[in-house]
Amino acid sequence: MFSDKAKEEIRQVFKKYPNKRSAVMDVLRIAQRERGGHIEKEDMEEIARLLGMQTVDVNAQAAFYTMYNVEKPVGKHHIQVCRNISCSLLGAENLIKHMEKELNIKVGETTPDKKFTLSTVECLGSCGTAPMMQINDDYYENLSAEKIDKILKDLK
Amino acid sequence: MEKILLKNLGRPESHTIGSYLGTGGYNGLKEALKHAPESIIQMVKDSGLRGRGGAGFSTGLKWSFIPKDPTVQKYLCCNADEGEPGTYKDRGIMENDPHLLIEGMIIAGFAIGASVSYIYIRGEFVFGTRRLEAAIKEAYEKGFLGNNILGSGFSHDMYIHRGFGAYICGEETALLESIEGYRGQPRKKPPFPALSGLYGKPTVINNVETLSCIPGIIEKGPKWFSSIGPEKSPGPKIFCVSGHVKKPGLYELPLGTTMRELIFSHCGGMLNDGKGVKAVIPGGVSAPMLNAHELDTPMDFDSLAAKGSMLGSGAVIVMDESTCMVKTALIINRFFSHESCGKCTPCRDGTPWLTNILKRIEYGNGRSGDVELLESLCTNIFGRTFCPLGDGAVMALRGALKNFRDEFQYHVDHKKCMVS
Amino acid sequence: MATVKINGKEVTVRDGTLILDAARDAGFEIPTFCYQADLVGVGSCRMCLVEIEGQKKLQPSCITPVLHGMSIHTETPTVMSARASMLEFLLANHALDCPVCDKGGECELQDMVYRFGPHKGRHAEPKFKFQEKDYVLSPVIIKNSNRCVQCMKCVRVCREVVGANVLGALGRGDHQEETSFLRSFLDCDQDGNCIEVCPVGCFMRLPYRYKTRPWDLKGKDTICPYCATGCRMVIEERDGVVIRARAQLGVGLNSETLCARGRFGFDFINSPERLTTPLVRRSGSLEPASWEEALGLIKDNFAAAGKNIGGVASARLTDEELYLFQKLFRTALGSPNIDSSARWDPRAVEGFISATGMTEGGASVFDCMESDTVLITGAHLSDENPVTDYMVRRISAGRSMNLVIASSRSMKLDSSANKTLRHNAASAGHLLDSLTLCIYSESADRLKDVSGMSRLKDIRLEELINRTGCIAEDILAVAKKIAASQSIGFLAGTEFIRYPEGLKGLALLKDVLKALGKKVTVIPVLDRANQRGAWEMGVHPGFGPGYSPVSERGMGCTEMLEAASKGELKAMYVVQSDIAVMHPDEGFARSALSSLKFLVVQDCFLSETARHAHVVLPSSSFAEKDGMFTNQEGRAQIIRKLLPPPVKAKRDIDIIRAIGETFDRSFGPKNPVLVLDEIRKEIPMYAGVSLAFNNKRNVENKLDLKEAMVMGADRGAEFAVTDFDTKIEPEAGEYPFVLTTGNHLFHSGALSRMSPTLTGLLKSAVVEISEEDALSLGLASGDKVSITGRYYEARATLNTRKGSKRGIAFIAENYADVPVNRFFRRGEGIPRVNITKA
Ligand SMILES: Cc1cc2nc3c(=O)[nH]c(=O)nc-3n(C[C@H](O)[C@H](O)[C@H](O)COP(=O)(O)O)c2cc1C
Ligand code: SF4
Ligand code: FES
Repeated sequence: MFSDKAKEEIRQVFKKYPNKRSAVMDVLRIAQRERGGHIEKEDMEEIARLLGMQTVDVNAQAAFYTMYNVEKPVGKHHIQVCRNISCSLLGAENLIKHMEKELNIKVGETTPDKKFTLSTVECLGSCGTAPMMQINDDYYENLSAEKIDKILKDLK
Repeated sequence: MEKILLKNLGRPESHTIGSYLGTGGYNGLKEALKHAPESIIQMVKDSGLRGRGGAGFSTGLKWSFIPKDPTVQKYLCCNADEGEPGTYKDRGIMENDPHLLIEGMIIAGFAIGASVSYIYIRGEFVFGTRRLEAAIKEAYEKGFLGNNILGSGFSHDMYIHRGFGAYICGEETALLESIEGYRGQPRKKPPFPALSGLYGKPTVINNVETLSCIPGIIEKGPKWFSSIGPEKSPGPKIFCVSGHVKKPGLYELPLGTTMRELIFSHCGGMLNDGKGVKAVIPGGVSAPMLNAHELDTPMDFDSLAAKGSMLGSGAVIVMDESTCMVKTALIINRFFSHESCGKCTPCRDGTPWLTNILKRIEYGNGRSGDVELLESLCTNIFGRTFCPLGDGAVMALRGALKNFRDEFQYHVDHKKCMVS
Repeated sequence: MATVKINGKEVTVRDGTLILDAARDAGFEIPTFCYQADLVGVGSCRMCLVEIEGQKKLQPSCITPVLHGMSIHTETPTVMSARASMLEFLLANHALDCPVCDKGGECELQDMVYRFGPHKGRHAEPKFKFQEKDYVLSPVIIKNSNRCVQCMKCVRVCREVVGANVLGALGRGDHQEETSFLRSFLDCDQDGNCIEVCPVGCFMRLPYRYKTRPWDLKGKDTICPYCATGCRMVIEERDGVVIRARAQLGVGLNSETLCARGRFGFDFINSPERLTTPLVRRSGSLEPASWEEALGLIKDNFAAAGKNIGGVASARLTDEELYLFQKLFRTALGSPNIDSSARWDPRAVEGFISATGMTEGGASVFDCMESDTVLITGAHLSDENPVTDYMVRRISAGRSMNLVIASSRSMKLDSSANKTLRHNAASAGHLLDSLTLCIYSESADRLKDVSGMSRLKDIRLEELINRTGCIAEDILAVAKKIAASQSIGFLAGTEFIRYPEGLKGLALLKDVLKALGKKVTVIPVLDRANQRGAWEMGVHPGFGPGYSPVSERGMGCTEMLEAASKGELKAMYVVQSDIAVMHPDEGFARSALSSLKFLVVQDCFLSETARHAHVVLPSSSFAEKDGMFTNQEGRAQIIRKLLPPPVKAKRDIDIIRAIGETFDRSFGPKNPVLVLDEIRKEIPMYAGVSLAFNNKRNVENKLDLKEAMVMGADRGAEFAVTDFDTKIEPEAGEYPFVLTTGNHLFHSGALSRMSPTLTGLLKSAVVEISEEDALSLGLASGDKVSITGRYYEARATLNTRKGSKRGIAFIAENYADVPVNRFFRRGEGIPRVNITKA
C-alpha cells in the first residue's frame, strides 16, 4: 500500500520514538497524503499491522484529530477557511458565502470535478493577517473577495 | 526597547543558522555548557521567567522538580501546539527564528538532563514545520545537537511531533498522550509530568516563547532579564494583536504595557476611525474580555488577574463598537465545544448546550430565561471539569455576560441585534 | 495510616485509600458512573465530586487519595448541586427512550436522577443522535449510543480485563462513541462484559432484547455449568424460559465478568430438543415409555449383567449426584467400573492428581497469583477458561511479578506475560524437565534426596531443550527467575492428561522447588464445571471418594468399551456423557457401544450415545437442581434450582436413587441436603464444607472463601505417576502438521452445541495454524481448507494465529461438522494431517 518513499519515511519516523505506537500520527499523515487527502479502512488496517496496534485504536486516533479525513475523500484543493473570532471580526462569513457562490457548493462539499472541497475551520493561528484560509499546506492571508477570485482562478 | 524575542524578525534569511550565528546565536548555549545544570536552573529561577503558555508558572521552579538521578531517562517537550484563537506568536518565532527556540531547548535539555526533546507542533503549521526541520538539521551539522555537543559531554536529540487538529493537545498531559500515540485526552494529575510524564518518565513541558527567552537569560544574565518590565512578571512578552486595529501583528513589549498603549501607540489605533473600542480580549479567547473602561490595565499576569481576566497566551483581540457580543460569544463557545475532548461530563455535554442556546439567541430564537440559563450552566460547569478547557469556555462566556448582559437580553427580547 | 474527617466523622484508613472508598466504608453514599473498583481510575464522569476543606474546587473522590488530616464533605449543598448538574448534563444529550429501553428499571442513570435530581428538565435544544436505530455489533451484542454516558467502562473492561481491545472511543467531544472498528465484531470474544458494566442501555444483549422488563424476571444465584473456573452468576427466567445470565460486581471470583459460554450459553436449557419423557427401544427404534417401564427394564437387565456392568457419569453433574452414582455402582450394583470421562486415560488422571497435588486440598487462584513467579502450562487459558484468564490478567497488571506462559499455541494472555515459551506439541514435559535440570545444576547438593532426579541423570540439557523447540536462552532465563523466586505458582491444565508424558516433569519440578524450600501452589486448570468434584466423589476406577484406596480396581471408560467389544461387559449406564462423540477413537467407541447387551443413557438430549441406547432417561440441567460444584481450585460452590425439569424429566439425583432403590429399598439418601451430609461424613476433605457459607460476597474483590475450600485427603490412595510415552506419528512429507485438540472459546463439551446462541457465534469448524505456516502455504485466515489425515478428511475454515508454534494444526473437539476424533486411532499416538486449499 505504501510507496517505497513512504516506507522509507516511516522507517525514519520509527527512529524518533522508543515505541512504534508513537509513530501512529505521522504514519496516518503519510497514508493520507499517499491517498491524496483522506484515509480508508485498508489504510488503518495496514497501519495497525505495521505498528502492532489494534485497528480500532488506529481508527480512534484518526477520528480524534480533525485533520485526518477518515473515509471522507476531499478534492484536489482542500480549502479551509477560518471562521474563528479574529477572522470573523474582519468579515470571514461574507468570504465563505462568496466562496460557496463561486464554487457553487456548500461548506463541507466537494465540487463535482473533485477539484475543490470547501471546509470551515477554527483558528489557524494567523489572526494578525485575518481573514485567512489554508489550501492544502499553504496559508492565504489578508483575504478579500477579489483576492479569493484570483486565487481560485489560478487553481482552476 | 531592545527586542529580544523578535529581534531577528524581518532580517533576510533570519531562519538560517548563518544569519542566526551572525547575531551572536548559540552564545547562550556555549555559555550554558560551561555551568553545572543546577546553576542554569538557578539562573532561570533568578530571572523570574514565568511560562508564556498560559498559566504563568515559574519556569525555573518547574525545572527544579525534575529528579536529579542521572540514570533515569528524562524528556523535554516544547509546546508548539498554539491553538488558542488569537495567538500566533509561536508560529512567528518558529517560522522566522527557529534557532532561537532550538538553542533555548538545548539549554533547557542540558539543565534538566534530558537527552531527547520533542517539539509538539500544530499540524496546520506546515511552513513552520519545514523551517524547524531545516533548522534542526543545521544545528546537528554544526554540532549543537547530537552526541557530545560542542565537546561538553552532553548529548541531545531533538524531534518534531506534528499534531493534527486538536486544540486540547496544547494541554500538557493531553500533549503527552498524543506523542505516545493515544487520543489527546488529559491525564489525571498527580502524578505530575515532572515525575511521570512522557512514557512515564520525568518530563518538562514548556511553551515556545518561554524556551525562546532562555538563551538571552543565560547569555546576558538573570538580572538583565528581571530588570525588564514589572518585578513579579519580568521579561519581554510577545503580544499577538488582531481584530479591529489598524496594524495588527506581533509586538514585543515588556509585560505591564497597558492595553491603551498597545492599541493606540503601537497598533496605529482602531481600524475604523470613529468606531471606538468596545471590548478587548487580553489573553486568547479563554481570557474574559475587558471593556472600554479598562483599557488602562497593565498587561501582566497579576494586574489582569486582579481584573478577573488573565494574560493567557498574550493574544489581544480588539473589538470595536460595531461588534455583536452575542455573536462573539457564540463563535468563542462554538470553538470550545468543537474542541472539547469528550472526557468529562460538564465540558462534553455542557459546552454544546451553551452553544445551542447562544445560537438560538443569535438567530433570533431566544427565549425568556435564556440569559439566566446560560449563567446557571456556567456555574454548573465551572471548576468541575477535568481540565481547564471547560473552565476556559465558561470564563469567556462569563466575561461577555458580565460586561454586556444588556446586549444578550436585548437579543432575547427583541429577536435581533442591538448593534447591527 | 491516615486519619481524616468525613462529614465530621473521624475515620482512619490505609495511606493511599481513595476518598470514595473511605467515604463508602464510613457509610456515606457517593454516586459514580466511571468508577469501578477493579478498573484503572479515570475520574471523568464527575459524579463523585466532593468538597475538601481548604480547596477551592470540588475534587473527584474516585481518583483522589486521602491525605492525613483532610476534612471531607460529601453532602453539602454544593456537592449535591454538582451531582444534579452532572446528571442534567448527561440527560441533555441522552435519548430518554426509557419505555423501550431494555435497561429501564435497572438503569443507573434512572436511579440516580430519581435520587439526586434534576427533577425538572431545562434542556430544550436539538439532541445529537449517533444513529437512528440500534445497531448490531455482534450476534450477541447490540448497541444504542444515544444512551451513552461516556463512562468508558466498556472500553476499559474490554482492554484491562478481557484483554481483547475490540472496543475503542471514536470521535471526540459530544460525538465520542465507544464502538468497534467499523462496527465489526472481528476478534471479539463475545463475552458481553461490556454489556455487564454498562450502567445504561447502551450495550445490550441481542438475544434478550425486547423479551421482558427486568422486574418480571425471577432469578437464582448459581454457578456456571461450563468450565471449572466456577463463575458465579444469576440466571433469570420468565414464564419458565431462561432469558438472561448475568454476573454481579464484587460477587464470586469472577466479579462482573463471564465468558461467552457463561453469559450466552444457557439457552440449551430451553431447547425444544430437550428430552421430556423416558424412551425405550421397541423393535429397533426408541419410543416414549413410562418411568415404570423404563425402570423395570433397567432392573431386569442390570441384574442380568451382574458385575459385568460399567458406568460413566459426566463431570457436569453435582457432587451429590456423582457421589450417589459411585455409591450405586460400588454398593448396589457391586461393580468397580466407573469413570467420569470418555476422553482420558484413568492412569493419566491419577498422575495428574498426584502431580498437581490435588489430594492436598484446595488452593485459590488468588493465592497462586501472589507467587513471585507464576507458570502457566498445559492450559490454553484464554480459550478454555476465559475467566481464569481475566483473573490472571487483572492480578498480574496490578502487581509486579513474573508471569510465564508455556504453550504451543499463542493466546491472548501472552500480552500479560513477562515471557512466553513456545514449545512443540506434547512437549511440556521436556520443557519442565529442562527447567528442572537448569535449577538442579545450581543447587545439586541440596537436591540429592529428590528421588525423581535420577530420571534425568543421563539426559543432556541441550537434547531436552532441542526437543521442546524453545529458544535455549528463554528457558535459561525462566529457570533463573524461578530459582530466584521464593514462591512459585503453577496453573497446569488438561494437556497434561491429554499428553501425560509431561506429568513426570511437572511432578519433579514441583518436588525440586519444594526441596529448595520454596512455596509451591498448583492450580489444576480443568475444562468441565465439576471435574474436580467428580474425582473427589470417587467417580474413577482407581480410587474412591476423597481419593480413598479401592479394594478392586475397576475399568475406565476405554477399558469398558474394549470389554464391551469383546462381549465381556454386558451393560452400561451413562449419565450426561456423550461417549460416542467425546471418545478419542470415535469409530471404535460407536461400535463398542453397539455391541453392548444393554445401554442406559440418561441425558437432557438425545445424544449420539443415546441413539445407541436401549433405554433413554430424560434428566435435568444445572438450572433444574440444587447441589454443589467443586471448581478447579477445590472451592465448593452451590448451584440452585430455578425451574423444574421439563415435563416428565427428572433430576439426575432422583433417577440415580430410583435405580438404586430397585436393588436396595434403602438406597439413598433421599435429597441433596442429606447426600451432602453423608459426603461430609464420608469424605473428610469435605467435612468443613457447608451450604451455609457458600456463595458469599467478595470482600474488596479479593475472594476470601477459604472456608469453602476442600481440605487435604487424609487417607489418600497411592497415586503413581506412570511412565507414559505419547507418540507422535513420525514425520512424513505428506502430513506436515501435528494435530492437536482442545476446547474452543465458544464451545466445550456437549452442552454448548445445544445452545443456539453459541452455535450461532461459530457456525462451522475452524482449523488453526500459525500465521507463518499459512504464509508459506499461500493460505490466509478465512480460506476454506481440506484437512487430510490417514483415516479421515474434513473441510473447515482456516484461522491463523500469530506467534503459534509452526507445524501444529489445532481443531477444537466440539464441532458437529468436523468430528476431530475421527482423525485418531487408539494406540497410534497423535496423528499428523495435511492442509490444502479446498
Ligand atoms: C486547553 C488548553 C490548551 C492549551 N494550549 C496551549 C498551547 O497551545 N500552547 C501552550 O504553550 N500552552 C498551552 N496550554 C498550557 C499548557 O498546558 C502548559 O501550561 C504550558 O505548555 C506550559 O508551558 P509554560 O510553562 O512554558 O507556559 C494549554 C492549556 C490548556 C488547558
Ligand atoms: S474539560 Fe473535560 S471534556 Fe473538556 S477538554 Fe478538558 S477533559 Fe476534555
Ligand atoms: S466516579 Fe469519579 S469521576 Fe466518575
